[in-house]
Amino acid sequence: MDPVKITIDGKEVITTKGKTVIQVADELGVPIPRYCYHPKLSIAGNCRMCLVEIEKMPKLQIACNTQVADGMNVLTQSPKVLAVRKAVLEFLLINHPVDCPICDQAGECWLQDYYMQHDLQASRFEVGKVHDRKKTIFGPNIVFDGERCIKCTRCVRFCQEITKTNELTVVNRSDHSTIALFDDSVLDNPLSANVVDICPVGALTDRDFRFKVRVWYLQKTPSICPGCSTGCNISVETYQNHIARFKPRVNEAVNSHWLCDEGRYSFHDLAGGERLTTPLIRQEGGLVAATWEQAFQAVYSGLKGSSSLAAILSGRNTNEEAYLFAKLMKKLRADAMLEVFYQERELNEVEKILVSPDRSPNFRGARDMGVGSSDGFDGLLRRLLSGDFAAAFIVGEDLTKAAESETVRAALQKLSFLVVQDTRVTETSKLAHVVLPAMHFGEKEGTYTNRKGRLQKLNAALIAPEGALPDSEIFAQLLELAGEQNGYGTPEQIFAALAREIPAYNKLTYDSIGAQGIELDSGGGGAS
Amino acid sequence: MSFGIARWRTAFFASIRPNKMEKILLRNIDVPDFHRLATYESAGGYRSWHWVVENMKPAELIDEVKASGLRGRGGAGFPTGMKWSFVPKDSPKPKYLVCNADESEPGTFKDRLLMERDPHAVLEGTLIAAYAIQSHTAFIYVRGELAFGTTRLEQAVAETYQAGLIGKNIFGSGYDLDVIVHRGAGAYICGEETALLSSLEGSRGWPKVKPPFPATHGLFGCPTVVNNVETLAALPWILERGAPAYAALGTEKSKGTKLFSVSGHIAKPGVYELEMGYPFKKFLEEDCGGVPNGKKLKGVIPGGGSMPVLRPEEIEKVNLDYESVQAAGSLLGSGGVIVMDETTCMVRAAWNIARFYAHESCGQCSPCREGCHWMEKIFHRIEHGAGDPADLDLILNISGNIMGNTICPFGDAAAMPAAAFVKKFRDEFDAHIAEKRCTLRVE
Repeated sequence: MDPVKITIDGKEVITTKGKTVIQVADELGVPIPRYCYHPKLSIAGNCRMCLVEIEKMPKLQIACNTQVADGMNVLTQSPKVLAVRKAVLEFLLINHPVDCPICDQAGECWLQDYYMQHDLQASRFEVGKVHDRKKTIFGPNIVFDGERCIKCTRCVRFCQEITKTNELTVVNRSDHSTIALFDDSVLDNPLSANVVDICPVGALTDRDFRFKVRVWYLQKTPSICPGCSTGCNISVETYQNHIARFKPRVNEAVNSHWLCDEGRYSFHDLAGGERLTTPLIRQEGGLVAATWEQAFQAVYSGLKGSSSLAAILSGRNTNEEAYLFAKLMKKLRADAMLEVFYQERELNEVEKILVSPDRSPNFRGARDMGVGSSDGFDGLLRRLLSGDFAAAFIVGEDLTKAAESETVRAALQKLSFLVVQDTRVTETSKLAHVVLPAMHFGEKEGTYTNRKGRLQKLNAALIAPEGALPDSEIFAQLLELAGEQNGYGTPEQIFAALAREIPAYNKLTYDSIGAQGIELDSGGGGAS
Repeated sequence: MSFGIARWRTAFFASIRPNKMEKILLRNIDVPDFHRLATYESAGGYRSWHWVVENMKPAELIDEVKASGLRGRGGAGFPTGMKWSFVPKDSPKPKYLVCNADESEPGTFKDRLLMERDPHAVLEGTLIAAYAIQSHTAFIYVRGELAFGTTRLEQAVAETYQAGLIGKNIFGSGYDLDVIVHRGAGAYICGEETALLSSLEGSRGWPKVKPPFPATHGLFGCPTVVNNVETLAALPWILERGAPAYAALGTEKSKGTKLFSVSGHIAKPGVYELEMGYPFKKFLEEDCGGVPNGKKLKGVIPGGGSMPVLRPEEIEKVNLDYESVQAAGSLLGSGGVIVMDETTCMVRAAWNIARFYAHESCGQCSPCREGCHWMEKIFHRIEHGAGDPADLDLILNISGNIMGNTICPFGDAAAMPAAAFVKKFRDEFDAHIAEKRCTLRVE
């Protein structure tokens, strides 16, 4: 790579040939406003917002398409540049309906933001605005407002270049140009909702999130998508202790800028069903509410006395939970067979861009913690269904959905003792002898290890309902009952313990994970 | 330059120094049946093509055209030989030559005449240019509305295939060349070279962001040269007579001859061929017969609808070459001369032109997409009696905000005439606004 020295606003920087001015400015932290430029899409150069002055060039140049050259002197704050930003914003706004009060994008709109930064003038446009379609359904997740659209074509390019599904195009000319679906196409590819994220204005909005809550009320918690073992980095955005939406967080090592639709809307599953808020113990006539002490005692004695034990952990449980679970099960019965829930499915070409074939975001981490056997989950399930076990401890999964439900039901009914730990009532929990109310991924913190071996951190975004306990605390209490004085407390403390014990995690600390995660076999890891 | 071509020239033409009246592009325009290959060949047609293929190396050809001083006649006036020389010689990709026959500049109808009356000259020029860049596929992109011209070109191509002038192994030289005539769908923007290429690729006729330039990344991402019809039609003559003969015509920087399409309030409208540097006023008054019906000249656009209008006093000393027209504050452009006499409402004229650009903007980049129609709407309301005194400065401001800030030259093409009309006929605009009506129309 040839080094190139350029100056941006008086700051000298050594960079490499082939980079564009906007890339170098972004690296330097020099703000250059932009609409059509997106680092993952081809250069369109159409919004003209990133025009900058370059010494010795007669015209202003778009920073997104201008490659750096040695000795280049770029000015991003010159009077000419400030004037053109104001001019471009005015052009973009003259036919814009300025319907911010009813627009979902308000608060995170690049027109609003740049208007405040660069324009701030009253409208000089006193002739009639061009009108367009206000609510065209593009697909199951997307609705389009043509009047708010600035024709940056990010959505069109996303469908051409990332998903290669080509649903969208530009039709008509001049200021009647607008985005449209190709005939007979629907914007329903597995990554479709990303167009909402990359739309800088309120033209494309999310039908699921639309009109639910103003974005400035949202609390944003960085976390990891629980949809599959890709481990996409997300922001869990909540309002009044409910998840309003998931948004992708940029992480080039994992999901780049994207999030699949299935993962994005998976939070609805968390909220569904009847929430468990008290331990239940089977009495004659059904499950009856009990205290935690009674429940722990029942679980301990029930499992301790069983002749064989199958232990199934959810793929959504954290490393810390898996670590304690493995410890607990082995303490209860040394021959307990442990597995983490894992089932694969077929993926289409677009899904393969991002999605992993499972729905167990932490299956790899759970196996690292010792939750795993040579037969795999399918082997354990087969044995469970054929009646090989006397007792079972099932965490966070409804097994009746993992195989033919009547077969599962019949097999589970035959067990002499079944413990189900979950967040809500399921077909499986209804068959349990003891039910333990737990917390879901949005309510607790901990770590996941994704399919590729990247350790990433979950953070609690919601307050769990009273009565439910974190899985780790349930396991820790049972361990104590089983005679292990451990003092496990916070996920951080548990992590410290597991890091000491599990070779691949030896050199990692909870703090070293950071917002972007860390590779197990990177410098910090002790794995072979 | 080769000695071979010089000898050949000596034998036929060396003693002839073209005088001012000798025509290059229109020399055969009135010959009956000149669109037929036989007629064209009997007048010496395709002799240059033979010579080029049989005797010249591409580099020599490029040097010859550079030496002739020929500049692009599409409007920008870029030196043709230099444009060819930007094509990388070592590229493994196919190279393309595209003849831009998408003539749509308002007030311009010269290429149409050449295509309809002398299609073989256009074709021969296309072949020569293709050879210069060693392209094996040449396209002629014709404006959709020019159906007759398309037919003539298609006939010409068919005849040359039959005669073995194009196709495989031309004249046994081993050089292959196919020519494809493509009719566009009729959009002004497709005359812009990168929009033309997008359209030819089957995409929406959108200009491409530059760089990269077509010379390296043109049609289908391959090295491409786009030349205007008139530019190409001059090549057979240049090769026949030699670069010095062409360079002897015109001014220091504007060589050769140029076609002018004259329309509007003029006694003898039509297409004229003039040596570069011909006095503008003399041309209008003597060659074109002046403004008819005893009316006075009010304004004239020298280079097609995109170029700034000039007032009568501004053309007094202007000569018709790139530099002189530019010095007068306009541009030679395509040579579309639009004459307006004293009965013309300049507000209406400006509105008419603005309406054209508002309609034809491709809609890709923000300033042009939004600004063109904004200006049109303001001109409209001034003409219709609803103008505001602040409107004129607003138009100047909008056009200034478009100028130079767009992907392609369309933005400038829309902004320049709007600003020029307002600046140069401000009193007329003021009167429209003050009296709240068109001050020239007889009610």
